[in-house]
Amino acid sequence: MDKLTIIYVDDQREVLSTISKDLQVFEKYVALEECESAHEALALLDDIEGEGDHVAVIISDHIMPGKNGVEFLAEVDTDVRFPQTKKMLLTGQATHQDTIRAINTAGIENYIEKPWDAENLVDSVKILLTKYIFSVGIDYQSYSPILHQPTLLNYLSKQV
Amino acid sequence: MRLVKILVSVAVSILILLIPTESFGITGLTIVEKRVIALFVLAALFWVLEPIPIYATSVLIIVIELIMLSNKGFILFRNDVGNPGFGTLLNYKSIFSTFASPIIMLFTGGFFLAMAATKYRLDLNLARIIIKPFGDKPKFVMLGLMLITAILSMFMSNTATTAMMLAILTPVLALYDQNDKGRVALALSVPVAANIGGIGTPIGTPPNAIALKYLTGSEALSFGEWMSFGVPFVVILLAFAWGLLSFLYPATTPKVTLNIKGKFIKNQKAYIVYATFAITILLWLTDFLHGMNSYIVAMIPVAVFSITGIINKEDLKKISWDVLWLVSGGIALGLAMEKSGLAKNLISSIPFENFSPLLIIGGAALLTLVMANFMSHTASANLLMPILAALGTSVASLAGYGGLSSLIIVAALAASMGMSLPISTPPNALAHGTGAVNTSEMAKVGVIIGAVGLLLSFLTIYVLNLVNFIK
Repeated sequence: MDKLTIIYVDDQREVLSTISKDLQVFEKYVALEECESAHEALALLDDIEGEGDHVAVIISDHIMPGKNGVEFLAEVDTDVRFPQTKKMLLTGQATHQDTIRAINTAGIENYIEKPWDAENLVDSVKILLTKYIFSVGIDYQSYSPILHQPTLLNYLSKQV
Repeated sequence: MRLVKILVSVAVSILILLIPTESFGITGLTIVEKRVIALFVLAALFWVLEPIPIYATSVLIIVIELIMLSNKGFILFRNDVGNPGFGTLLNYKSIFSTFASPIIMLFTGGFFLAMAATKYRLDLNLARIIIKPFGDKPKFVMLGLMLITAILSMFMSNTATTAMMLAILTPVLALYDQNDKGRVALALSVPVAANIGGIGTPIGTPPNAIALKYLTGSEALSFGEWMSFGVPFVVILLAFAWGLLSFLYPATTPKVTLNIKGKFIKNQKAYIVYATFAITILLWLTDFLHGMNSYIVAMIPVAVFSITGIINKEDLKKISWDVLWLVSGGIALGLAMEKSGLAKNLISSIPFENFSPLLIIGGAALLTLVMANFMSHTASANLLMPILAALGTSVASLAGYGGLSSLIIVAALAASMGMSLPISTPPNALAHGTGAVNTSEMAKVGVIIGAVGLLLSFLTIYVLNLVNFIK
C-alpha cells in the first residue's frame, strides 16, 4: 500500500495537538506529521519525498516566525516534486492581501479560519485527500473510510 | 498479510510443477498441460485472495504463458519439445492477440460510446427525462431510479452508472429521516439495478462478453440475439427487485424529489454523439440486414469520435485499460487450457457422463453465483468459462438441455447476480459507503435476488430451448 502523509505546520504546540486530535480518524490509514515551522516542514517534505512516499495534504498556519505560511505553500506549489499535493491554509490572522496571494501564488485549495470547527476540518481534509488519491491514481478502495463520498462519486462517475 | 498470500499462492503452483505428471490421475497429461494447471491454480488463488490488483493477475497470466508456454519462450522451458509426453506449446502470436481479441474491441467501442455520452451529458439528460413521469412518491421514484440505472448500465460500466446515480441521490438521502426504512431501499436500489441492468447487452458487463467468446460457430450469438433474452430477463428481475425493496423497506416519507440539473446540449458535436449512439445501437441490432457483426460495428463509434475530436487524446487516457486487460488475461487462460488440450483431458477424466445434465447446469450456476459474491464478477467468469466451455462440448447428455449455450448463458447470468456483500461488486461498495445501508440489509436483499435470479435463469434457458433458440 502506498504511504500517504498529511503534514500540518503551526508555531504553537497547542494548535498542533488540537489538530492531531481532530484528525484522529485518519490515523489508521495515513501518516500524520506535525511541524513547528516552515523550515522544519520543508526538511520533512524532502525526507518523505526521498523515501518515495506521498505528501498528500499540507495544512499550514500563516503567521509564523521565519518563513510565513503563504511563502511556504508558494514554494511547495512551484516545486516539481509535489505537483499534486493539496494545500490548505488554517489561520486567523491573514490579511486580505495575504489571502489573495495564497490563492493566486500558493495554489491553496482550501482556507479555514481559526478558531475552526473540527468536523469542518475533517471534511475538508477528506475532500483534499480524495482529490489527491484520484489525481495520482492510487487504488482508492483501501482508503474508503476516510474518503469524501460526494467527491469520490464524482470522480467515479467520470470513469469509463 | 499480502506477502503471505503471494508466497502461499506461488508455493502451491511451484509444488504442482514439481509433482510428476503421472501422479495427477489424468491419463496422458503432458508437461505443458501440467504447467497450465499450475498457472490456473496461481490465477485462481490470486483472483480470490487479491494480493495484487485483479488486472495485474491477468497481465501475469499472459507473461507467464509467453515465457513458459509459448514457442518463443525461455529456452530451458522448451528443451524437451518433441519428446513424447511434453505436449504442444502455444504460438506466442496467439497469446499476444488476446490483447486485441474481438471482444476486447467490442468493449473498447462500448467505452467510446460511454465516454462520449458522459462528456456530452447524454447520461444525465436521459436520467432527467426518464425519471420525470415517475412523480414524487418514494416507491415510484425508486422505480424510475432503478429503470434509468438499469438502462444506463447496459451501455456504461456498472460502477460509473452507480456512482452517477448515487451522486444524484446523496442530497436526497441526507434530507431523509434517518429512521425511515425507505432510505435503505433507495440506496440499495441503485447497485441492484446496475448489477441487473448489466445483463441486458453483451457490453453491459464483462462476463457477458466473455460468454460470447465461448459461443462460437453454430452457437454464436449476435448483439440482438443476446438482448432478445437479456432485456426480458432484466425487466422481470428488476420488477421483482423493486417489489422486494418496497416490501422489505417501505418508505414513510410522503414525498421525495430528485433534482437533476441541466439540459440537452445543442451543438454540432453533441448532435454527432446522439446520432452515433443511436446508429451504433441500430447497427448492433440489425446485423442480419447489413452483415457486419457486433465487433465490427463497435469500431464505428471509435472512428467517428476520434475523427471529430469528441474523444481527444486526454480522453483516451481515461479508458479503463485495467478492465480490458482483466478480460484479456481470462481469454489467455482459456486459450492455454484449450490449446494445450488440458480442458478436454480434465473433463474426460471426471465421469461427468454419470451426472444428470440438470445437476451439471445447476451446479455450474450455483458455483458461479457463490464465487461472484466473494470475488470480481469478471474474474469468476474468467476462471469458470473455459472449464464450462469444455464441459459443454464434451458431455453428450447436455445436448438435450441446450448443451454449451445453456451452460455458458446460465453462468454469465449468475456472474452478474453476485451482489450480497459490499465486496461483491464496486457498485455495492459505493452504496455501502453512503452509510445508508448496512451489510446485513445488503446481504438479505442480495441473497434473495441471487436465488430468484438463478431460478429465472433456468427458466430462461428452458424457454430458449423450447423455442429452439439454442440447440
